[in-house]
Amino acid sequence: MGASLFVFGACTIYLLPFLPKNFSGAKWIAHPLFPVFLMTLICIAAYKPLDFFYSEIFKRVLFKRKSFIHMSLIHLAEELRLVLDLQELANLVVNTFGEVLHLKMVAMVVPNLAKESFEIASGFGWSVTDYRRVHLAQNAALISLIQESGPHVLVRNSVVRAEAWQEANRLAHEFDMLQAGWIIPLFLKENLVGLLGFSAEQSDRTFDKTDFHFFREFAAALAKNVHNALTVRELKAANLELQDTQSRLVQAAKLSAIEQLATGLAHEIHNPLTIISGKAQILLLQKERAPLDERVEEVLKTIVKQTKRAADITRKLLMFSQGSGAPKEMLRLEQVLQDTLALVSYQTSLEGIELTQSIGPNIPRLYANVHEIREVFLNLVLNAVQSIGARGGKIHVEIRYLNRERIIEIQVSDTGRGIEKENVEKLFNPFFTTRHDALGLGLFVTKQIIHRYGGSIRVESRAREGSLFIICFSDAQTFATGSTEENASLPSLYLSQEQ
Amino acid sequence: MKKLLVVDDEMEICEFLKLFFEERGFLVDTALTGQDAVALVESKHPHVILLDINMPGMDGMMTLKLVKQKYPQVKVIMVTALETREKIEEAMRAGADNYITKPLSLEYLEKDVQEKVAHLALSNQPSA
Repeated sequence: MGASLFVFGACTIYLLPFLPKNFSGAKWIAHPLFPVFLMTLICIAAYKPLDFFYSEIFKRVLFKRKSFIHMSLIHLAEELRLVLDLQELANLVVNTFGEVLHLKMVAMVVPNLAKESFEIASGFGWSVTDYRRVHLAQNAALISLIQESGPHVLVRNSVVRAEAWQEANRLAHEFDMLQAGWIIPLFLKENLVGLLGFSAEQSDRTFDKTDFHFFREFAAALAKNVHNALTVRELKAANLELQDTQSRLVQAAKLSAIEQLATGLAHEIHNPLTIISGKAQILLLQKERAPLDERVEEVLKTIVKQTKRAADITRKLLMFSQGSGAPKEMLRLEQVLQDTLALVSYQTSLEGIELTQSIGPNIPRLYANVHEIREVFLNLVLNAVQSIGARGGKIHVEIRYLNRERIIEIQVSDTGRGIEKENVEKLFNPFFTTRHDALGLGLFVTKQIIHRYGGSIRVESRAREGSLFIICFSDAQTFATGSTEENASLPSLYLSQEQ
Repeated sequence: MKKLLVVDDEMEICEFLKLFFEERGFLVDTALTGQDAVALVESKHPHVILLDINMPGMDGMMTLKLVKQKYPQVKVIMVTALETREKIEEAMRAGADNYITKPLSLEYLEKDVQEKVAHLALSNQPSA
C-alpha cells in the first residue's frame, strides 16, 4: 500500500515539468515544499480507493483458493455417500484431505468393537505397517477428552497447554501416536464414530475460524458415511459368521448321517461276509482230512481273500465317518492319500478314470487330525471325479516336499470339464455348486481345514481342459513339532518307499 | 473237556463256529443274546467266550461287564465289526482278554482260543 502511494507521488514529481506552460510559470509551483504538499494531497485522495482495490484483489486470490478447498471437500463428502466399503471410504478421505490441504500426514481412526479400541483405517503419509500398529484404547485420555468436549476440533498445542502436566503428557503422547497436530472428531449425534487426525508440513501452519467451522461441517457429513460403512462392515462380518455356522451345522448333520450309515453298513456287511468267509475257511481246513480238488481249493481261497477285501473297504468307509474329534497326530500324508484312493478306486475304475499318484522323497509328517486330512483328499478327488464325469479321464495326485521353501505341496489335477472363469473365485464359497445334486460345501470345508493348519489352497483351471488344485502346508510349525524319535525314523521309512 | 461259548446274534455265525470248534474237540454252546449268554455262563461255566459286541438288547459290552464281575477267571474274546479305538479300549478296560475283527480268520481264532485254554490250564494246575 505504502509502496503504491510512493510510486504515485514519484510519478507526479516526474510529470511536473510537463505541466502546461501557464501552470509552470506560477510562482507557487516553484516553491520547494510544493511536491511534498502535492504528494500528501494525492496520498489522502488515493488511500481509500487503493485500499479497497488491494483488499478486493487480496480477497479474490485468497478466498478463491479457500473456496476451492472447501468446494472439493464438500464434493468429496457428497461422493462418499455412495461408498459403503470402510477401507475405500477411509482411503478416499485421507488422500483427498491430505492433498487438498497440503498436509504432511492424515489418519482416519475408526472403532474396532471386537478389540474395544480405535484403529487407523487408512493413512496419508503413513506406511501401512506403521499405522497398523496404532491402537487407541476406548478409555484412552484422548477419547475421553473428545467424548467430553464434543465435536470441536482439537488443536494439540492448545489442548496440551490447557491440561495439568500428567494429563497433558498422556494427551501429547496420544496426539503423537496419531502423528496429529489437529484432530477432528466424527460424531453422529452422541456417538463417536471416528477421528480424523492430521499434521501440517510447516510447523507454524495455522487454521482460522472459517476453517474450523468448515471442518466441523465436513465432519458431520463424513460421520454419517463412516457410520454407514461401519454398519456394513459389521453386517458383512455377521453374515460371514452365519454362513460359517450354517455350513458347520450342515456338515455336522451330513457327517453324523454318514457315520450312522457307515456303522450300520459295516455291521450289515460284515456279518454276511463273516459267514461266507467262515464257511469257505471250514471247507478249506477240511483238506487236512480229505484232499480237495485243486480248482475247488483255488475258488475257496479266492472267496476268503475277496471277503477280506470287501470288509477292508467298509472298514475304511467307517474310518472316514468317525474320529472328527480325534486328537492330532504325526501323519504320513502318503498313507492318508493311499487310504483315500483305495476308497474311490472302485468308482473311478467304473467310470473309466485313470487314477495315478506320485510321492516325492522325504516328505515330513504333518501334525494333524487324520479325519480332516482324509476329508481334504476325499473332497478334492471326488471333485475331480465329478468334474470328469462318465466320459473317462485322468486324475493325478502328487505330494512333494520343496526343501528350500520348506513347503509340503499337494497337487490334484484332472482332465475334467474345468471351471468357468467367472466361477473360479466363487469356487471356495459355501453353498456354491454347479450341480443340482450337491450342497456345495466340499471345497469350502476343504479350504477351512487347510487354513486351520496354516496352509493355502489355490486352483488353476481352464474350461473344458481340466483343473489343478495346489495345496501348500508352509508353516514349519505344522510338521516340525514331532519328537526327534519320529524324525529319526523318517529316513529309513522313505528309503523303503523309494525302493 | 475244553468248553467254549459262542455269542452272536447271527445264527449262521454261531453255527459254523460251533461246527468248527466241535471238530477240534471243544464242547460248544451258542447264545443269540446277551441274556442267554449270561445264563449259559452260570449254568455251563465255559472256559472261553467268543462275544460279539454289536447285538440288539443287551450288547456285548454289557454282557462282558456282567460276566467278568461274576466270573473274572473266564477268558473273553471280543468279536467286532467295528474296531474303533474307543470301543476296543473300553472292552479292554472292562476285562476283555483279546479282540478280533470280522470277517474272522479261523486259523488265528483257533490259535488264540487254544492259547487261552492252555493259559487257564496252567494257572489252574498249582491249585488243583
